[in-house]
Amino acid sequence: MMPIGNLARMVAANTMRSRRHFVLSAFGIVIGIATFVLFLASTEQVAAVLEKIFPVEQVSVVAPRTSFAGKDLSKKLDDAIVAKIRARPEVDPKDPKAIIPRMALTFPAFGRGDFDSNDLKFEVGGFADGVDGSFVPDEGDQRTKDLFRDWDGDTSDPHRVACQPPPTPEDGDVIQSPAAPKGGHPGGLDPAAPPPPPLDKVDDWEKWVWTYYHNPCPEPDRYYCDESDHTCHHRVPVVMSPTMIELYNGQFAKSHGMPVADVDFVKFVTQRGGLSAMRFSIGLGLTTIAGSNASIRKKPRRVEAVLVGISSHAMPIGVTMPIQYIQRWNREYLGDDAATAYSSIIVKLKDRNRIAVFAQWLQDDLDLRLEDSLGQKFATAIFVIRLVLILISLVIILISAINIAHNFFMQVTERRRELGLLRAVGASRADVLMVVLGEAALIGLIGGIIGIGVGFGLGALIDWISAHSLPRFPFKPSTWFHFRWWIIAGGLLCATLFAVLGGYLPARRASRMEPAQALSQN
Amino acid sequence: MPPEPVVRLRDVTKSYGTGAARTQVLRGVSFDIEQGELIALVGQSGSGKSTLLNIIGGLDQPDAGEVEVLGLDTLRAGDARRAQLRNRSIGFVFQAFNLLDHLTVLDNVMLPASFSPGAGDAAGRGMEALRRVGLSDFAKRRPGELSGGQKQRVAIARALFGAPKLLLCDEPTGNLDSETGKEVIDFFRELNAKDGVTLLIVTHERRVSSVAKRVIAMRDGMLVETTDEALAVAGGGPA
Repeated sequence: MMPIGNLARMVAANTMRSRRHFVLSAFGIVIGIATFVLFLASTEQVAAVLEKIFPVEQVSVVAPRTSFAGKDLSKKLDDAIVAKIRARPEVDPKDPKAIIPRMALTFPAFGRGDFDSNDLKFEVGGFADGVDGSFVPDEGDQRTKDLFRDWDGDTSDPHRVACQPPPTPEDGDVIQSPAAPKGGHPGGLDPAAPPPPPLDKVDDWEKWVWTYYHNPCPEPDRYYCDESDHTCHHRVPVVMSPTMIELYNGQFAKSHGMPVADVDFVKFVTQRGGLSAMRFSIGLGLTTIAGSNASIRKKPRRVEAVLVGISSHAMPIGVTMPIQYIQRWNREYLGDDAATAYSSIIVKLKDRNRIAVFAQWLQDDLDLRLEDSLGQKFATAIFVIRLVLILISLVIILISAINIAHNFFMQVTERRRELGLLRAVGASRADVLMVVLGEAALIGLIGGIIGIGVGFGLGALIDWISAHSLPRFPFKPSTWFHFRWWIIAGGLLCATLFAVLGGYLPARRASRMEPAQALSQN
Repeated sequence: MPPEPVVRLRDVTKSYGTGAARTQVLRGVSFDIEQGELIALVGQSGSGKSTLLNIIGGLDQPDAGEVEVLGLDTLRAGDARRAQLRNRSIGFVFQAFNLLDHLTVLDNVMLPASFSPGAGDAAGRGMEALRRVGLSDFAKRRPGELSGGQKQRVAIARALFGAPKLLLCDEPTGNLDSETGKEVIDFFRELNAKDGVTLLIVTHERRVSSVAKRVIAMRDGMLVETTDEALAVAGGGPA
């Protein structure tokens, strides 16, 4: 058998000496592989963007809405339902994240925060929910992982010290989160400074608080003085979905003359100057909506929250926090029943193909259903589109393989005498087969590399045109292509494989040629 | 015990084509070639000389008979064994030189090393082969830059590269002028005399057959054995 080094040298020399043959053979491969990698990279990126909008790796179990005479009679999603779902064979019992209940904040609450010197007020009641802390952080988001937890449940927190909270307005308003002390101020009301004017003589409470009161807690970047127990609490960590950021950028920021925010939270915080810049107040039991008649059992109070990250697992429109906060607040304002009823249950199935069986069981045995998921529909559409595009690419590559076969048949005929000579000086049939197949493989490999380069170039061109010519729209990606390593490897493999396939029959003919006849050819 | 012949043929037959177009090229050819012989295989065009040479060299397979070359039954041996035999023990010299124009003279000479694992100092051996044919100064040139005689000497150097025991030459002087042809024949005679290389030269030229120790003639696919008879059959040729 021919030594592999000699084979490589001979294949390289033979390929390089006939440039016309090389160009004719490699052209189709270049086009085919360029479309192959470009199509795959684009569907990969579109799928990634869609998954940001609609997480598709899990299904959501909800109770059908039923009511009678204005009273909600919907089935309650509680821990008993969770246990039944967990026992299903479609669910992996060893996966702690296989079942994640979500609980909505079901009483009025509104938020107030400062963003770029703008006093923002927004509803939180109905636009907030809670989930287990381990579920929220997206992969690799260590910052959110560290901060998104039930800080109030940790009674051993050394920062839970006594403090004097800012005064509460009596008009039902909620003040913005007070600033951290600076310039030697001790926090709270400064005892060394002249006493501030009495509050009953002040029109603007907000201004009074911001002038005379400063956050007295240790680490004021993260802690605030809670008015219910006069101790320092970690601000409630919340996350928002990329959908919220896009809605803000696409609709809100433009119409209100606000700055555009980058989805990348790190950049976002850096722009704003630290974690406390993302803080806001929540008035529990209060609402900005006139005419609300929700019956709550407790006096409204103010807590502070802080945006700690962006998560695709967050509520699409609203904010998401650790579920323990929601449970405590629902119990506090509405009672035990509200603290044990989930709004939905996220279920990760072992096999997504079993979704129909699972849905049928839910309906038959529990009278529950799966939430209509646009994500599932989009994922299916993307899957089909990807298959069609791959098919188109493969057809192009197949045609190029046929082109390679045609060229190699011509080459083998033209090189009969040369191949016969190789047999005469000691090449076996297998050697000749390997030489011709090696030439085909090299053409495929080089064609594949050039094709991938062309794919990258076209991708960059399309991205440039998109950046300069397409208007901004929600979730507009900075690139339309995600060239994953397996796409590149698959492209090279496909190129080489199809080229070898195209070269096989000519190589077989070359190897079976009788050397005596080949040498006698004029 | 007498030494084994280098080539042993028994009742070798070969035909080409099928049906009405079938042509019987060899009809039961049998003969031995002993080590150190210089044999001229003569005959008119179409008599089967080249076919017989190709069968001996393993470049073609007979329809029937026995072919043993340097102890290898080439009819039954696999393709890889026959290729190995050609690579290590047999050298070919063709009328048309068969040099590869895209390679240098030295690379042409070293071509057999491509198919030989552990070929060692192939370049050194290639240069030595070129030196023997007096072309060591032409190593870097391309075949297109050489005369016909020089090309044939390069082809001979390539045939000698593997230090073969058997040299099979098919009309080696057919494309050369008489002076150059004489030089080539003298080189073969010297190779046979000094190195003991066994040579089988297919030719129809009298000056080639005149230096052979034995002349075997072919007519209609059969041998005419003796030297004198053979020469008569060959019908003479250019001296």
